Amino acid sequence: MPPRIRGGSCQPQLLLNYLEPAPSSILPSAAIIPLHRPTASLPKCNRAFSTTPAPQITKLRRAFKEWCEENEEMFRQHPRDRHMNYIGTGSRPFPNNPNFRSEPVLSSEARKMIWEAIMVKGMPLKAVSAEFHVDMRRVAAVVRMMEIEKKYEREVTNTCRQGQPLAHVYARAIEKMLPRQDLRDGEDKFEPINDIHVHSYTMQQLFVPTSESREFTRADAAKAFGEHILPPDAKMRIPELVQMEKNIAEGMDERDARGHFIKEAAESEQAFAEKQRARAVAAEGRKTRVNTGRFEFRFEKINAEDVGPTGRARKAVGWRYGAPHMDRRRGEVKIPTHVG
Amino acid sequence: MFTRRSLAAINMDPAYMARHDGSEQATGRGSGQKSRKGLDVSNVRNEGNSTNPTPYMQMMFAPMERRLDIAIFRALFASSARQARQFVLHGAVTVNGKKMTYPGYLLNPGDMFQVEIERVMAATGKPKKKSGGSQKAPKNTEANENAEGEEGQAAEGEAAETVESAAEGATEGAVEGVAEAADTEAVKSKHFETLKELKIRAQRIMKVKNQFIRAKEKKALRKMLVQVKETLERGRKADDPTVAEMDQAERQLTDLLSGLSLSSNQHSTEAKKARIELKRQQAIQGPDIKKSLVGGGTIRSAQLGLLTPNQRNVLLKALQLEAENPYDSSKPYATPWKPRDWMSPFAFIPRYLEVNQKICAAVYLRHPVARPGLSEVPTPFAPSVSQLAFNWYLRRG
Repeated sequence: MPPRIRGGSCQPQLLLNYLEPAPSSILPSAAIIPLHRPTASLPKCNRAFSTTPAPQITKLRRAFKEWCEENEEMFRQHPRDRHMNYIGTGSRPFPNNPNFRSEPVLSSEARKMIWEAIMVKGMPLKAVSAEFHVDMRRVAAVVRMMEIEKKYEREVTNTCRQGQPLAHVYARAIEKMLPRQDLRDGEDKFEPINDIHVHSYTMQQLFVPTSESREFTRADAAKAFGEHILPPDAKMRIPELVQMEKNIAEGMDERDARGHFIKEAAESEQAFAEKQRARAVAAEGRKTRVNTGRFEFRFEKINAEDVGPTGRARKAVGWRYGAPHMDRRRGEVKIPTHVG
Repeated sequence: MFTRRSLAAINMDPAYMARHDGSEQATGRGSGQKSRKGLDVSNVRNEGNSTNPTPYMQMMFAPMERRLDIAIFRALFASSARQARQFVLHGAVTVNGKKMTYPGYLLNPGDMFQVEIERVMAATGKPKKKSGGSQKAPKNTEANENAEGEEGQAAEGEAAETVESAAEGATEGAVEGVAEAADTEAVKSKHFETLKELKIRAQRIMKVKNQFIRAKEKKALRKMLVQVKETLERGRKADDPTVAEMDQAERQLTDLLSGLSLSSNQHSTEAKKARIELKRQQAIQGPDIKKSLVGGGTIRSAQLGLLTPNQRNVLLKALQLEAENPYDSSKPYATPWKPRDWMSPFAFIPRYLEVNQKICAAVYLRHPVARPGLSEVPTPFAPSVSQLAFNWYLRRG
């Protein structure tokens, strides 16, 4: 249980003080003052029928007000000539928290560049990610949302339909307030693109005796932490980049290595897409569609016995006699866990 | 929901991964060899990580960042998490294109959420003024005239602000052109004249808009907007503004104004006169007119009541801004839209979100992680406070 704070909203002593004098209803609220207490010590109550004392202005609150008045010019509206306008130094919005930084976002030019690289030049996702030092997932998200944006723009301009106008003004205002990067040459790397999660198994200290002559590599360390723990080499998001660096280290020309990398990246992406497609085709093959004009029935073969030992396996289909539904049980969370 | 195992990530530099297999860290007595012959471990670095400790304690509330309402607030679509929650409950938010009404929905990596643009504009824009009544449409013309003293002034102030802000942006762009002109002072004064005219026009538009009650007038406004758009597009396409185009642009402007009966007859006749005079001039001078307009002919064109290319650009830009951010009393926020007070010191977007402000959509890329020296969970508390909270809520047996 969290620590309790003394003096909540219910304060019987104060309540008594208010009730004691029992003033007539004609008197204004200022006159409702307890008889045997000094006026100054009581908080002023401007609500005639409320017995709850108005919150007193604390020293901290006063200091806050003063600070607000002093810094109003600086922080009320975003100054034109400034990029970021944080209370802390540099890009730190919270002065007390040195570990949180407002990191740059992609500028609209940068997003356009990424979209062009993917949709116009047809570069593989991994190559774009490596070129701009932007996470692959971010690259995909940028392209996904840019496509929607373009669709909206087409809707607004082309058709007579009253399309929703885009929030250009809002976008411009926000872009002015945030630190941003244009992904030009000479800028810092935008973000790490090959980061791996720290596995909780690897957060303990291990003492593993080995012979002095043994080369104890990353793979050995992973095995020492647990049989199923993968070494970082197997977890890299763009392993083709490591291969490129290996080629460079072996003396290959940098441009050739780069060409190899792009080719490999494109191949791996094609293989992935092929796999997805094969999976979709296989799933479709298991289904039988019957279109009646009004409805489309989709039949799929299931095994009714495939319900697990409790009869409530996740894959189980249908209602089973004797197995009660748990969806009305107290505390059962019915918020969906995934969409589309 | 809460866990004591916070997520952390380490960057693995491909160059390091390719050149070392990690065994150099276990040489010597088990922690790497130092400055003997051969490899020095201190020179080998996995680039891209800071040397500071990973702030795991600051990640205590990381699971909260997965909630849909909090993510909407973090993407700067709402001014508070409670407001974001209201958006979700009121059905203004979609996740992956489907309406989602649970504020506690935990986003999965790759989920795209989108908020209605109008809601975002209302949440982040300045609120309407309660007093003053400048936003209300007066019921009859008499009342309008009576109230003109107050309302007119308020509208005027706002109009002046818009035009000025538009002008400030536009004049910057026009600086280059001004340098070319022979008489800078004259050009400047011309700019001011253009801006004044713009201001008057904006005021007129506003006055008319205040009376928008009937559908007919709304129709007229829509027509005007279409015309403005056409003008702008034509202006954008033309790389080399010719006299004919300038003429066309101006004619459209006058059409636009007369279509809404904004301009007095005098204004349109003036424009007509100018056009006729220009044609006459063109007939006399022939091909020289273009040169004179581009070069030192700004004064002459001003005499004709025409716009120089710079002025035209200024005007087009101002018109574009006005079209994008118009005065509209039907909106639930103050128009033209301006960001809310005290917004900029708290404006930041954490890295686990990728936001597209134009369509008010964002993708939840991944769960927030801690990196060496950096935590992605926005919390105002100092590390010492977070540590105490972590110990109290999560570590206590």
